[in-house]
Amino acid sequence: MRHRTRSFMRGGAVALVLALAATISIAGQTQSAAPAASPKAAPASAAAGKAYKAPRTPDGQPDLQGFWTNSTYVPLERPNGVTKEFYTPDEAEAAIKVAAEREAEQTEPGTTADVHYDFSQFGLDRSQSKFAMNLRTSLIVDPADGKMPPVNAQGQKRAQERAAARKTAGGQYDAVENMPIGSRCIIMGGAGPPLMNAGYNANYQIVQSPGYVMILTEMIHDVRIIPLDNRPQPPSQVRQWVGLSRGRWEGDTLVVETTNFNGKNGFRGASENVKVTERFTRTADDTISYKFTVEDPTTWDRSWTADAPLVKTGGPIFEFACHETNYGIANILAGARADEKKAAEQKKGSN
Amino acid sequence: MRMKLAVAIVAAGLMTGIAQLHAHHAFAAEFDVNRPLTLKGTLVKWEMVNPHSWFHLEVKDKDGKVTPWMVEGGSPNQLIRMGVTKNTVPVGTELVVEGYQAKDGTMKAVGRNFVLADGKRLFLGGSAGGVSDPSKAK
Repeated sequence: MRHRTRSFMRGGAVALVLALAATISIAGQTQSAAPAASPKAAPASAAAGKAYKAPRTPDGQPDLQGFWTNSTYVPLERPNGVTKEFYTPDEAEAAIKVAAEREAEQTEPGTTADVHYDFSQFGLDRSQSKFAMNLRTSLIVDPADGKMPPVNAQGQKRAQERAAARKTAGGQYDAVENMPIGSRCIIMGGAGPPLMNAGYNANYQIVQSPGYVMILTEMIHDVRIIPLDNRPQPPSQVRQWVGLSRGRWEGDTLVVETTNFNGKNGFRGASENVKVTERFTRTADDTISYKFTVEDPTTWDRSWTADAPLVKTGGPIFEFACHETNYGIANILAGARADEKKAAEQKKGSN
Repeated sequence: MRMKLAVAIVAAGLMTGIAQLHAHHAFAAEFDVNRPLTLKGTLVKWEMVNPHSWFHLEVKDKDGKVTPWMVEGGSPNQLIRMGVTKNTVPVGTELVVEGYQAKDGTMKAVGRNFVLADGKRLFLGGSAGGVSDPSKAK
């Protein structure tokens, strides 16, 4: 059952997509066309960086400040069946069209999939807002096949141990501690590092002051205050959900290395030993090239790198007081108890 | 024709490869697919707070008895960016909500579809038509 026409497709965004080239920003509905760009231009955002000189902060740092989003339709890993690194503009347009239609598709009333609020009504359909776009078929650029490297034996063993521990703890809805970390408002995907689009509210604010860079993540209001003074990494026993970051400038590129994760929310199965190296380079007034490399020899035998540009968006970043109305936790636990009661009554009735 | 071919080429890959919207929690664990409902009521309070907004409605039955209901909606952040605020959908607004009731049978529901009394779908496009800069919102 499809109730409606996609406002995205009505709104001329298709024409904008045809103008894709390097990294451009797209407003889904009403904003004016993105700056014209030749579809034949080199798709690597670095190409634009050569000609562009980033503005400077009063203390002389390349200025990365402002509000940015990494919302995108480009998946982290290259889809099965796609073998090339870049789509043509036509193919990219088609990919966005298919993805946007799927996202706004109405579900069949009376099915489990329909038990949800409507994404588009709440502005959670990505095409309703600004999103970062390039012609890449995957955000992963290394390995060359666009896929994450296989998890090694040590990583697999750890995943099995975690699964066994979860099983011992009981069902997912037996206790609040068994529920997913994100549902419990502890931390969410995308908080980073690395910065990964969370699907919605994928917004960030960067603020610089002499000696520091601050990155505020809207989802779920995590802040990293990154010193730039070459101080040593803290001792290994000091660990955080978002790790501990140290930054430095390499030319106009801000390089941030993060270690000291607590390992409870390992990015893509990583352990507490993971090291994330991020590279921020402003390549246009409205674009930051953002590349990150993930290294964890206890999970993968080789490092892997992704290219996930940030584009300028409107501020401010809104509060994300996640615990405040997280009534869902109590409702889900109550629902599970109601299900158990019903099952017990049915069992009793059948005896 | 060229576009159709391009769609065909990428569609299969997208079925497995597209970055998915993440739900904050499993809705089918909270609400009951076997309890679909339509509520017509007056908005008395709107909690525009994460991880989900909650709409408090007073629903009057045919005998005039008023029952308070709580209806779950999406994260408010994007709504605000679209120009939808407590001022554009004020307390006192008459709403029709289609959704599913909580599994435990209490007066809570997820709002599948929000419609104003005049039949207009609520929020869609917002009062500001989807601008991402709230300073431009009306």
